[in-house]
Amino acid sequence: MSKLLRELRPVYVVGIGWHRYQNPSETSYVTLGLTAIRAALADAHIEWPVVESTYIGTALLGMAAGRAMLKHLGASGRPLVHVENASASGSAAFRHACIEVAAGISDVVLAVGCDKRNPVVRGFTRTGIDNLADDAIVPFTHFALLTNEYATRHRVKPEDIALVAVKNHGNGAKNPNAQRQKARTLEEVLAGKPIAGTLTALQCCPVGEGAAAVIVASADAIKRYGIDASRAIRVASSAAASERPVSASDADATLTRETIQRALHEAQITADDLDVLEIHDAFTIEELLYTEAAGLCPEGAAVHALKAGEFDIGGRCAVSASGGLIAMGHPIGPTGIGQIAEITLQLRREAGPRQQPNARTGLAHMVGLGSVCYAHVLQRDS
Amino acid sequence: MSDASLPLLKPALYARGERAPVLLGGRCECGHIFFPMQTFGCERCGRFGKALQPMQLRGHGRLRAAATVHVHADEKRPTPFTVGTIELDDGPVIRTLLLNASPDHAAPGTEVEAMFVEVETSDGEKVLDLRFRPVVS
Repeated sequence: MSKLLRELRPVYVVGIGWHRYQNPSETSYVTLGLTAIRAALADAHIEWPVVESTYIGTALLGMAAGRAMLKHLGASGRPLVHVENASASGSAAFRHACIEVAAGISDVVLAVGCDKRNPVVRGFTRTGIDNLADDAIVPFTHFALLTNEYATRHRVKPEDIALVAVKNHGNGAKNPNAQRQKARTLEEVLAGKPIAGTLTALQCCPVGEGAAAVIVASADAIKRYGIDASRAIRVASSAAASERPVSASDADATLTRETIQRALHEAQITADDLDVLEIHDAFTIEELLYTEAAGLCPEGAAVHALKAGEFDIGGRCAVSASGGLIAMGHPIGPTGIGQIAEITLQLRREAGPRQQPNARTGLAHMVGLGSVCYAHVLQRDS
Repeated sequence: MSDASLPLLKPALYARGERAPVLLGGRCECGHIFFPMQTFGCERCGRFGKALQPMQLRGHGRLRAAATVHVHADEKRPTPFTVGTIELDDGPVIRTLLLNASPDHAAPGTEVEAMFVEVETSDGEKVLDLRFRPVVS
């Protein structure tokens, strides 16, 4: 019989760290990654040799980038593996780190995401099957089309959709690890450079560079290494899926709905229990599609909920309190791991000016090109 | 007007039909209709090889969404241009370039049809490529 993560031994996030997400620079990826890992080790109050295994979420650094980075922590001889799953590379690395601890193979495992912006070859362009105009349809074009479809179906205006960016830039302004740390008015968002359809530059995530690290551990390890159990956050569920052929409805939203439902069910909660939600808001339209798909509000009602402040910090469920991909940034490999770290911060009540009051339960969601989808629920014990 | 005798840019994807261009799709024994034609395997049921047979799809459908692109990295594709999501009458949903598709003429639900336009390859050769445009009634 197959088992859910929750049915194996408990896994806890015990250490988190970042290198700020930022515009492309001369900084070596080694510096980016080591900064995040050392911050996570310091946060957990453990030393590097304690870490038994490492999962590296990266899509853009090239083959075998990881050991050249990890060896500078003192080469411990422990196993490492690179995980590439497009935008969800970090989420995938985290899931497999959790599985390794839950299965009892290791007690302390690192998931680190590290990337710098580099030219991308999308593998599906090499299948040998030609296409009409895929060279003209990049991710933002895909989401401009979905924006047009959503706006028509639910009769919402471009300025309604842009409100997502206003909220998320406001949250990013309170996050020292965000790439964009400037609050924006609706006028500024709408007046920005037009990209595709009604999407403007400030409604699209910046792809820069950075790193995020999360250390997961078993209850045994928490005891053995004297880790502060009151700051350990339980990984309550892990769900992953890939796209199936669906005809009428939108593939990314359908995939998100199914994956989040599985994560909520495994965690034995409903969407109403979520206090914080980090979502794949690479483009404004995605937050509307996915908050609806997550079950936070009925289909077509996300703009109404957004306007009512339900998704603000202090609202019913803080959506993208970190700033989300739109403001915090989307350096690819780090993104999914940074979401887990943000939720951990929130559930520990250590998020400072962007703290969601009394946050107890959070969910992290990512979609990767293909499409693939991940959802993880984190929960504090009391 | 384009010269109808010019070679096609992507002859594996479309052909001159009797009256209008057709798309070269396929049909699986399970009934799944897809575009473009391939024999790797059916996305719905996994049958492969001879279970997948070529099927000409009518170059006609309805627009589900359109977007005019203002920023594009590839200089060979100068902006602005308009792309659309089209539900073909035969089933598959495709994405491709539109012509005469300003938001006024190309609201979701608009009937669209395939046509050929003359384009130049990187070698300077004149060829025909496929576009979709709103049907003028």
